[in-house]
Amino acid sequence: MSDKNKFRKKIERNNKIAASVISISGYGVILSIVALFAFLLYETIPLFYSASVTKTVSVPSNKNSKIIFGDIDSYKELFYSINEKGIVSYYNVKEKINSGNDTIPLLDNEKIILSEKSTTSIGRIAIVTDMGRIINIKIGMRSDFVKDKRNIVPTFEIENNFNIYGSNKDSSFGISNLSYDISSDGNKFWSWLDNKGNLYLKIFNSDSEQFLDYNLSKQTSTFGLTALIIDTENELLIVGNNSGELFSFDISDPEDVTLKGNWKSSNNKITKLAFLIGGNTLIVGDSKGEVESWFQTRGEDNQLHFSPINKFKKHNSAVAQIIASPRNRSFLTIGENSSVHLNFSTTSTTELEFKMNDHSIVYGTFTPKSDGIILVDNKNNLGVFNLDDKHPDVTLNTLFNKVQYEGYNEPEFVWQSTGGSDSFESKFSLIPLIFGTLKGTFFAMLFSIPIALLGAIFVSQFSSKKLAKIVKPTIEIMAALPSVVIGFLAGLFFSSLFEQNLMLIFSLSLFGPLLMILGISFFGFIPERIRRNYPSWVDIAFVFVLMCLVYIIVSTTVYPLEHLFFNGNLKQWLYSSLSVTYDQRNSMVVGFALGFAVIPIIFTITEDALSNVPKSLSSASLALGASKWQTVKKVVLPAAAGGIFAAVMLGLGRAIGETMIVLMATGNTPILDLSPFNGFRALSANIAVEIPEAPVDGTLYRILFFTSLLLLTFTFIINTIATFIGDKLRKKYARF
Amino acid sequence: MNRIKTFWKKGDPYILFTGAGLIFSLGMVLLMLGIIIFNGMDAFWPKNISEYQLKDGSKFLGEIWDTKKDYLLKPDSTYGVVEEVKVKTGNRDIYGSDFKWLYHKDIKTSNEPQEAVCFERWEYGNFYGFINAVSIFDKRYTFQNKDLIEKANEALAKTLDNRNKEENIEKKLNDLMRPLSEVQRELSLIDINENVNKIKVEKLNKKAEELQNKIEKAYTKLSNDLTKLKEEDSQIIVSVTIADGTNIDVPMSKVLRLYQPNKMSTISKSFFYVKKVWEFLIADPRESNTEGGVFPAIFGTVIMVLLMSIVVVPFGVAAAIYLNEYAKQGFLIRMIRLSVVNLAGVPSIVFGIFGLGFFIYIIGGTIDQLFFTSELPSPTFGTGGILWASLTLALLTLPVVVVATEEGLLAVPKENKQGALALGATKWQMIRKVVLPSIMPGILTGMILAISRGAGEVAPLMITGVVKLAPALPFDLSFPFLHLDRKFMHLGFHIYDVGFQSPNVEAALPMVYTTAFLLVLIVVTLNLVAIYFRNNLRNKYKSSTF
Repeated sequence: MSDKNKFRKKIERNNKIAASVISISGYGVILSIVALFAFLLYETIPLFYSASVTKTVSVPSNKNSKIIFGDIDSYKELFYSINEKGIVSYYNVKEKINSGNDTIPLLDNEKIILSEKSTTSIGRIAIVTDMGRIINIKIGMRSDFVKDKRNIVPTFEIENNFNIYGSNKDSSFGISNLSYDISSDGNKFWSWLDNKGNLYLKIFNSDSEQFLDYNLSKQTSTFGLTALIIDTENELLIVGNNSGELFSFDISDPEDVTLKGNWKSSNNKITKLAFLIGGNTLIVGDSKGEVESWFQTRGEDNQLHFSPINKFKKHNSAVAQIIASPRNRSFLTIGENSSVHLNFSTTSTTELEFKMNDHSIVYGTFTPKSDGIILVDNKNNLGVFNLDDKHPDVTLNTLFNKVQYEGYNEPEFVWQSTGGSDSFESKFSLIPLIFGTLKGTFFAMLFSIPIALLGAIFVSQFSSKKLAKIVKPTIEIMAALPSVVIGFLAGLFFSSLFEQNLMLIFSLSLFGPLLMILGISFFGFIPERIRRNYPSWVDIAFVFVLMCLVYIIVSTTVYPLEHLFFNGNLKQWLYSSLSVTYDQRNSMVVGFALGFAVIPIIFTITEDALSNVPKSLSSASLALGASKWQTVKKVVLPAAAGGIFAAVMLGLGRAIGETMIVLMATGNTPILDLSPFNGFRALSANIAVEIPEAPVDGTLYRILFFTSLLLLTFTFIINTIATFIGDKLRKKYARF
Repeated sequence: MNRIKTFWKKGDPYILFTGAGLIFSLGMVLLMLGIIIFNGMDAFWPKNISEYQLKDGSKFLGEIWDTKKDYLLKPDSTYGVVEEVKVKTGNRDIYGSDFKWLYHKDIKTSNEPQEAVCFERWEYGNFYGFINAVSIFDKRYTFQNKDLIEKANEALAKTLDNRNKEENIEKKLNDLMRPLSEVQRELSLIDINENVNKIKVEKLNKKAEELQNKIEKAYTKLSNDLTKLKEEDSQIIVSVTIADGTNIDVPMSKVLRLYQPNKMSTISKSFFYVKKVWEFLIADPRESNTEGGVFPAIFGTVIMVLLMSIVVVPFGVAAAIYLNEYAKQGFLIRMIRLSVVNLAGVPSIVFGIFGLGFFIYIIGGTIDQLFFTSELPSPTFGTGGILWASLTLALLTLPVVVVATEEGLLAVPKENKQGALALGATKWQMIRKVVLPSIMPGILTGMILAISRGAGEVAPLMITGVVKLAPALPFDLSFPFLHLDRKFMHLGFHIYDVGFQSPNVEAALPMVYTTAFLLVLIVVTLNLVAIYFRNNLRNKYKSSTF
């Protein structure tokens, strides 16, 4: 008895386990598609997070001596500041303790009044004292590992110093503005303005190991110079004056510095200038708080001119500071009234506005990895902020609208995700990719819809059972052919075949149908009585013979024609007469190959839809005396219209998502061009091409997830619609 | 004329037009298959070597690969047909490229010299020429010897034998060195940290020394053998006269095979062909995949689809059973059906990027954090591998299995199921004993179709673990035998890689065609089997209605 019970229990238990396992699998199917959506969204959403800052630490400071400079190591662990007395004090942010001092040797009563760090070389700082000395220092941050723990050790070094007045120690011309930079080949540049508005440039030529001094104020022929900046490539010195004019000097040759040009950029006094990374974009701030970006574009005279590009959010007071990020095209603008704006040049957006406190800010900088901001106010308060702005270069605007990128003369849709250098401006317009996908899909549908529909109509309505039995598996094989094989044939076989026989392809698609109509008309001469009586394969045999004939006729006449009209070479003629370039891997080839992949889908589903139209309907039509074709046209096709629509939609979904064929049969160049003789880059192929190089969780990575989400959403909508139509049809005909 | 009018009015021409659409579709399938089959099968057939003498006196020796007609501007400034012939002249290390286009009008004479020899080399592709002399050690045979070709074959056999021995010795050397290099690796890892455990280091050093002493004798012997063999190799040389008349000394150890195609009969060519096909199937690829075989790709594909099937078949079958036997009609069932349809329609690259982001970086990354901390920062599972590729494809092929199984489920007569339940069986017993056995053909169909899809899919694989050249197979004799973290090779990706990313696409084309032919053969066969199974299922359905 107990054995029996045990057995029953076991069976019951198995039954329950099986039920739950099977149910979980059932839910698992829904879960899979939900997970796809959820995960793609999860990876995409951070793209659109807005920037935020959080204050991490207030570094304690000596309130009595003015802080001139502050910076931090790239791990944001060791902060250091320089005060007017030349004391460099280090502060461990993690452990919140002071960790030593260094001293810049100053003369008695000498005070530091200005500091400027090189934008390109980390830790190279120029210090200006009230006695007219410029002292160059180098503060390095070395990471040591002790017991697997990182320990940042500062290195301090005085490089050199010189007096800007030479022997004449008249300190009444105090320095009001300094720009300092070191070029990649070791040249050093200092440029400053004195209180009288004179402009000086000092260059250390590393080749000749000599200092070169220039007084450039005469060349500008105006007084009242107010701001200056050396670009990060050390080719230009830009100076602004109090009436809004800018002057540019060519400093690329240290031996020969000349005024290159001047232009009006504002109606107000220029208060601050800065160059963004890469040294192309100039940011101009004026006394009314206006911030505007400029870069050189090619004018009608084919010369480079600075042009205004974007305006950024206005400050309520004069712009006091403009600080460029060392990593990307972000820059901070700080107003005299202590407002801080974080802007991004490509997107022309002001991403963030905040205040440290109500005191005006005298110094600000980005952390070396551009993931933080350091601010110092006039009350000697020091703030280190964490900056969370991982994807500043992406907004819906940059993804879908025209943007004027550096070096471009006008706003354009461009996809160019990565470049050679760190200062490369990423161009993330999805429009060329979406256009590419649509272009490929269009040509594929153009080719496949007529063929697939005609074929399906024939098989479901007019063919013998025997023929259908051969056709269906063949079409199934067609569907099963790996897309990599189709793509390979398209890219390596058909592309050159098309190129060599361009005229033939054109003639066949143009004259082929016409000749077919003519030939089929001859078929009509056979009396109907006879035509009705012979087996159905005669029809198809006749068409086959006719097609062969058409091919022979066209292919023998095509070359003389090409010779007559196109100088013997259509491709050459297209280029010389219409200036149309012909790429070997072009949209026609893709249309053909992608069409090949789509035909079986449309064919099968259309055939199903047509076969499912109840026989009673067509029989009724035939009984009323309609001909076979009239029945198909007036009864069967309208009844199956929904199914045919669904078939086309599913084919469309396949064409949009297909990757290997477009990857292999196009040149993958993201261009916007309607010509069928050019290639394109599709969304799907773009993912395959770029994802291996995209850093995980980086901007490109997330954008590629975003494009996948677009593809997924699109195919989801198409499939859902197609399913609903299919269900409806099934219900509609269930009553017959 | 009236007749034509009624002909059009009744619409008969349109019927013929639909027929044309069908012929076109079928024609395209046949064309594609034809191109693949013809080029794929032709690739290994030994082609005759032709010798061309041009009017300017230069000579070329090689296989005819292609001819084309071009419309070019002729010297008399009219356009006209110019015929060209593409000759594979080989000798890449001498000429710089494998191919040469010759204009028909420039050719003075052409013939097929009986004595021309094709050398297949381990590197730099084929070499064409005439054997001038063969030297084996201190013996030198010149063209006065009638059996020069036999001597050359003898020399080749000797170097091939040496090559085998060398490989053996190298393998032995590797095995010998392995324990030592493991100790050395351990030592190098310790050096990075500053808090050195001195005792441990000393122990390891001592162990290393012991090992070194232990293997020293064997090591010297083996490496001496190796040098001896290499020495032997350097003394076996064949002197070849190439097309322009210069003699070139080719060390026989660089040659893999030599043959005189112009002398071969059709039968011996067939034997040669079979040998080449066999090599293609079982050998490793050479010359950045453009020559040799595709064995690792076949192997990788097979292991991948098997892993995929292990996951997708139970999952898909259970889901289909749930849909048909457990779920009640209504919203849920419609949602599941909608999900199946949508999964089938999701672009494969989307599955790929999901696999990359979710399986590799999130799940794989977590596994690395938990179990492979010692290997970090180099990832173990946090990078593409066969496991993740299989899982991604399992997701991709899920609808295939569900749909095929459902078709099978619909074919099971209600009476059978109800009969089982009426006899007191639980639902699970009924499914196990009645339903599952009768849907086996359906499950099998689903599995075959899923395998066929998995074998042909490339886009998701190329970002989840397929590589152009995997250093090791995903399954071998070292523990734990099945290496789920390894990257692998795949036939479909092989086509893409060799055809589009190899430096010498032109010379690699036969390889691409053959690989494509193999892939198509597999996929088509699998599909035909599936179609056969499905038809059987339908017939069974027809006969088993009570």
